[in-house]
Amino acid sequence: MTAIIAQLVISGLLLGGLYALVAFGLSLIYGVVRILNFAHGTLLAIGGIAASIIFAVYKLNPVLIAVVLVLVFLVFGYLMHIYLLDPLKKRNPFEATIGTVLVTVGLLLIISDLAAEIAGPTPKNIPLEFHAYIVGEVIIQRAELYILGGITLFTIALHLFLKKTWFGRAIRAVTQSPLGANICGIRSKQIHAQTVAVGCGIVAIAGVLWSLKFPVDPYGGFDLTVRAFTIIILGGIGNLVGALLAGLFLGLAEVFTSFLWASDWAPAVSIVLLLVILVVFPRGLASVRK
Amino acid sequence: MTGSATEKLALAAIFAIAVIAPFLGAYYLTFVFTMLIAYVVAQSWDWLHGEAGYVNLGHYIYFGIGAYVFSLGYINELPVVVCFAFAALFTAGVGAILSYPLFRLRGDYFAFATLALLPLFDLLAANLKGITKGTDGIPLPPKGAIVMGVDVKVFSYYVALAVCVAAFFLTIWLARNKFGFALKAIRNDEQAAEICGIRIFPVKLKTMALGATFAALAGACYPWAYRYIDPTTVFGLNVALIPIAMALLGGTGLLWGALIGTILLGTMQQMLLVQISGFQATIVGIVTLLIGRYMPGGLLRARIVRGTPGLGALGKEHHERLGVRPAVGAAGEALAIERRTIDPDRTILTCNGVTMAFGGNIAVNNVTLEVKEGEILGLIGPNGSGKTTLFNLISKIYEPVAGEIRFDGHLLNGLRRDTVSHVGIGRTYQIPRPFSDLTVQENIAIPLMFRGDGGLARDAALAEAIKFARFAGLEARLFDRADALNLQQRKALEFARALACRPKLLLVDEVASGLTPAEVRAFVDHIREMRDKYGVTVIWVEHIISALSQVVDRLVVLEQGSVIADGPLREVMADERVLRTYFGGSLKEHA
Amino acid sequence: MLEIRNLVVDHGELRAIWDVSLDVEAGERVGLLGANGAGKSTTLGAILGIYKASGGHIRYKSAEIANREAVQNVEAGIALVPEGRQLFPEMKVRENLEMGAYPRSARGKVAENLDRIFDLFPILREKQNQNANELSGGQQQMVAIGRALMSSPQLLLLDEPFLGVAPVIIEEVMAALNRLADQGVTFLLVEQNIHRAMEFVERAYVIENGRTVLAGSKQQLLGDPEFSNKFLGLD
Repeated sequence: MTAIIAQLVISGLLLGGLYALVAFGLSLIYGVVRILNFAHGTLLAIGGIAASIIFAVYKLNPVLIAVVLVLVFLVFGYLMHIYLLDPLKKRNPFEATIGTVLVTVGLLLIISDLAAEIAGPTPKNIPLEFHAYIVGEVIIQRAELYILGGITLFTIALHLFLKKTWFGRAIRAVTQSPLGANICGIRSKQIHAQTVAVGCGIVAIAGVLWSLKFPVDPYGGFDLTVRAFTIIILGGIGNLVGALLAGLFLGLAEVFTSFLWASDWAPAVSIVLLLVILVVFPRGLASVRK
Repeated sequence: MTGSATEKLALAAIFAIAVIAPFLGAYYLTFVFTMLIAYVVAQSWDWLHGEAGYVNLGHYIYFGIGAYVFSLGYINELPVVVCFAFAALFTAGVGAILSYPLFRLRGDYFAFATLALLPLFDLLAANLKGITKGTDGIPLPPKGAIVMGVDVKVFSYYVALAVCVAAFFLTIWLARNKFGFALKAIRNDEQAAEICGIRIFPVKLKTMALGATFAALAGACYPWAYRYIDPTTVFGLNVALIPIAMALLGGTGLLWGALIGTILLGTMQQMLLVQISGFQATIVGIVTLLIGRYMPGGLLRARIVRGTPGLGALGKEHHERLGVRPAVGAAGEALAIERRTIDPDRTILTCNGVTMAFGGNIAVNNVTLEVKEGEILGLIGPNGSGKTTLFNLISKIYEPVAGEIRFDGHLLNGLRRDTVSHVGIGRTYQIPRPFSDLTVQENIAIPLMFRGDGGLARDAALAEAIKFARFAGLEARLFDRADALNLQQRKALEFARALACRPKLLLVDEVASGLTPAEVRAFVDHIREMRDKYGVTVIWVEHIISALSQVVDRLVVLEQGSVIADGPLREVMADERVLRTYFGGSLKEHA
Repeated sequence: MLEIRNLVVDHGELRAIWDVSLDVEAGERVGLLGANGAGKSTTLGAILGIYKASGGHIRYKSAEIANREAVQNVEAGIALVPEGRQLFPEMKVRENLEMGAYPRSARGKVAENLDRIFDLFPILREKQNQNANELSGGQQQMVAIGRALMSSPQLLLLDEPFLGVAPVIIEEVMAALNRLADQGVTFLLVEQNIHRAMEFVERAYVIENGRTVLAGSKQQLLGDPEFSNKFLGLD
């Protein structure tokens, strides 16, 4: 029994850590630009599928694949903001809201459909064979260690980036007080575009890590966005540590729901959690702490 | 309806085509049937979005619930009419219940939560296998496929057409009815709507339930015709968003928006379906994206359409459709405010130990204040001293954390915000909050329509509003939208709207800043006239003391949330403490 | 040092500033007075470059700066202490201060400037590792002033620096401002509290409805019946 629980905890942490990575990007973008990118999780899907295809064709090292994809996603995010999202700010509030929703929902549909057409509708992953370690009755695959390590390293790196670099601090400053940031000479428009780029870049890393272990479903993107949104509502917008904890919690909750009840219901956990939190705290949990 | 002859002709033509389409063959039957269903969903979605401003991305769940309830009734061999009734009632109930949690949210959050309903209901339909048969779906028995020798598709077609017609006329009714004006007020500013006497939640709930009912009727037609449903056809993300894209493509909130959008996008989809296999969702996605990026207001609002003779009528906003413009009356007539006789000894407003805190920050601290009937009271104090918070407490924007407020025999504590205007309190905001996309006339008419005694009918309220507009000097701008006004005019509009609440007590928050001396004098005369002629009691928050000094009977000074002086103007202005806190000390000290 | 001529600023379709003209010489302490909504804060924002001017001129050290980006003006030696402080609530005091050195030209002197600010407001040295939102109003105001000083400004724009600050702390802040003035910093102060403004400034302008309506030295203004009328309304 202990072994089963340990096994479940490992899966939960893996899943939760990946959810948290997706949530980091969404959180940065929402915190700075105040735009809810409905297509955010779908980016993971296409990232993971691209990674699996690149791997299948060129047999590249996954780390290299991650580097390439991050660059591509950075550019994509930057262009998306400059050409699709930023121009909508000039419209009246009604039109700006509906416009951003439509643009990002449109991207969601396009990306997931293209991914499915290119890769076929069956989920794909990077079929690397790794050793497995056996500790007592618990089996840990090396890939899982890589993923956990990757998540940990990346979280620390992102934390340091936001804390220590001028750019990272500018992102936090704009999140916390756009006017204050402006006064310090931070060019908010530039920071907005760069933040969207970084947010998308993070998803690329999550996509590669994801595909090392789990199959990537081209249509599963929106479910991921829901999870990421649940996580940032739970952990606080712009709060990295909060998002990590919330992500791990969600991952564990899903894994245990599958185990104790039925795997069919696991995706419902985040939706129900999201709806309950929103209903109880309509402005998010962060507003409660203040 | 009040459309032009062209519009009526176009409508008749569309209707005629829809009536004869089934006779042209099975292809056209299916094609138009798809559009009819899409139109009902799009239009019923737009009641909540176009009228009330809520982006319900999960509206399609009502279609799905309707389809499931109908199918379940049908396989249990209930009569078709009963199945339809069940589908409509059950779905309306779901809509009403969902209103309670959902309407706590606004903006992005509302959109996101409603979108999350789609995967949730998809999961429910797929996993509650005992009821829904899971992903296998529910096939309807083939014996009902032919009724009286005619394919049942034809019957469901005409039912769908009837629902379409009902939806179209309901839209006209909504745009012109008082209920529709409540929605439009909500769309612009919920708080201001409540201040004008609208109880907003039931209005939103009814709209949600109404939209759910229509979507459910469309949903019921679908399995009836196609004899089968499963979770992905009724809860899938890409099918669910198409009707919304249609309404937005045409132009949300416009009478013709959903109809034109459905015809255009529906036809386009049909043509693509024939020519291209695959990439369906991509095409929907591209269309959605382009609408969002380039015309979130819709095609019919685009300048090119509005400017084209004949087509311009399609892009008409609701206020351009209102039938008779009420006759303009003569100047100097009385406002529809009861002339009250003042009893200067009677206390109309009592604040007793009123305290308000935000977090640890005490904004209003144990304020005790009495206002006599017919008094004009000036309220001053430095920035952040709690003047506006006190107004917000009296007008029920906030509930005090301690103390009680009594007004004209009513205890205000615990009262709902929309009853404030009904007991006789009207207010303006420091930064004006008119209903931006309504006309001056409509802005003023709203409190007249929703006053405590049941309110005036629409046309009567619009006619009455003219008198208030004239009083506030806005007669020339009667048919202009509020967002076209400048700051001063907006302030005047808000003043007129507050008067239209027929207040016994008027709360005026900083109107003089930004006015020229002559304009200030005119405003002061208005305040005086309200008191002398109609017996209105006034509390006026103002920074410009020269304006107050022309009219107030008494001055109350707040500092850091507490009353530090209360008395006749000259006495208060000579008070050392007031001079010290408000002006920092006697000016002579420096000279 | 600063020369504003017939400035016009629009917020969307609303005109906030109609016609403001003023001059500030190097080393001066100038006040900008007026009622709520008169346009004082907007004027300061326009000088720093966070609002666009629709007309008129703003010249700083004889260069036209209207519609330059804020970052350029900060690099040129202008800094703003905004109304309501606008700190970064969940960043540490030290990080808040360091953000003031965001423009590239200021990044070299972070340590030096931090020292200077901690000398000016010793309490901030103690609290440097606390989040800004844990500080009292007065301490937050010190952080806001400190943040503005991080770019070594020659012209400091102060917007209602004493609002919501306890009287004891006001004295301390005032003393710090006097020290800065002695070091040669030029001040343009917006203040509603005339008494306090007059304690600090040498000269002042009065703005009403987006227009400069009065100007003069402290003595001239206090002796001017129109001035007392504007603020006391006892005409």
